[in-house]
Amino acid sequence: MALSAQDKILYVANKLGLSSLGQMQGSTGAVYDVDTDISGQIFSSASRHQNPSVTNITENQFEVNEALLVETCAFYVRNAAGNTLNFQSVYGSNAVIVFDLVIGNKRVMKDTPVFAAGSPYTFANASNQTKVVAGINLETYVPRHQVFMEGAGILIPPQVQWYVDYRIFDVVTGATIAATDDTAVGCYLFGTRVLLNFNTTI
Amino acid sequence: MSQVGKLGYVDSKLGAPISGQQTTRILFNTIEAPGTTSSLSFFKNFQGLTNGQTNLTQNKLDSMESMVIKTIWLAQYSTTGVLSPVGGQNQQTLSIIVGNQTVVKNLPIQFNQGINGQAFDRLHENAGGVTQAIDNSVLAQNTQPCEIRLLTDIVIPPQVAFEVRLESNAGIYGTGAVVCALSGYGKIFSAGSSF
Repeated sequence: MALSAQDKILYVANKLGLSSLGQMQGSTGAVYDVDTDISGQIFSSASRHQNPSVTNITENQFEVNEALLVETCAFYVRNAAGNTLNFQSVYGSNAVIVFDLVIGNKRVMKDTPVFAAGSPYTFANASNQTKVVAGINLETYVPRHQVFMEGAGILIPPQVQWYVDYRIFDVVTGATIAATDDTAVGCYLFGTRVLLNFNTTI
Repeated sequence: MSQVGKLGYVDSKLGAPISGQQTTRILFNTIEAPGTTSSLSFFKNFQGLTNGQTNLTQNKLDSMESMVIKTIWLAQYSTTGVLSPVGGQNQQTLSIIVGNQTVVKNLPIQFNQGINGQAFDRLHENAGGVTQAIDNSVLAQNTQPCEIRLLTDIVIPPQVAFEVRLESNAGIYGTGAVVCALSGYGKIFSAGSSF
């Protein structure tokens, strides 16, 4: 039988000596942030970002007895007007994000590609939009730019900093693509959340 | 057997290290300007490719790394980046060779792409759009990459050469690029307490 999300959280917590994490409130959650500095890192400068238009965290680490088991990792674009846009419809189908997820001083996801054309596992999405090309209305796909984690996900433990390192390339030519203020790349991490529960700790 | 269990089982059979950071792994490799050909071999040539075209430097994983392939993903781009069905509408077969063993043999890909609309996996949307002919913009994508979800976990052990082979009768792959990605669960090297 496969390891459940809750089992994995408790397993890692036990390894880290976090004996009280199992008494906290289990939940579902997501954290997001945008690389507004165009630095190639997401989440590391979240403390300077407006909440909630850019991010929903105040720093890139969880407080005591809070954690997130990352089960989905996704990318999007935020323009200068603050709109959340699809990565493919801004950068084109030939763009690819290659990213690392770093927790503490450890790289837990390595050189992982997210294809603008629609990444592996994300095929089930058929949502579309109408786009005018050369005067013709086209129904176009809006691909998903997500990595659904295999296994039981990866735990971001309490009070450990994390960030996403990324670069954007043209997969056809291999050239790097520079983001701008109007095409800033954002990322969300979604999964099983552990929230601080005072009832059992005070 | 779960994918985690299978990877551990195969690694232990081969005497490979079973420690390491467990993660989701996606390997990818690009063939530039393939043209019209009857055979494409992915993960064979890395010369001249940037980090945006492949995330390996050789056709094998490092000594402390291994993975389970869950999904095969293929995409074909024009020189301007417009996505189109891989190899046109012709039937093609895909094989995966690990070491000297064929672990996926002549699996047809055309059902999972184009306007054929008969994807193997019932959860999958059918790729491809009938309006592709009038699409001339990378920002208006009306086809989707070809993806096949495997029913059996295929293990790539550490330091064993592997290859993905796409065969056809003169498949039309164009002058842009064709990309193959293998996605699944894997282990990457973790120094742990040894450094």
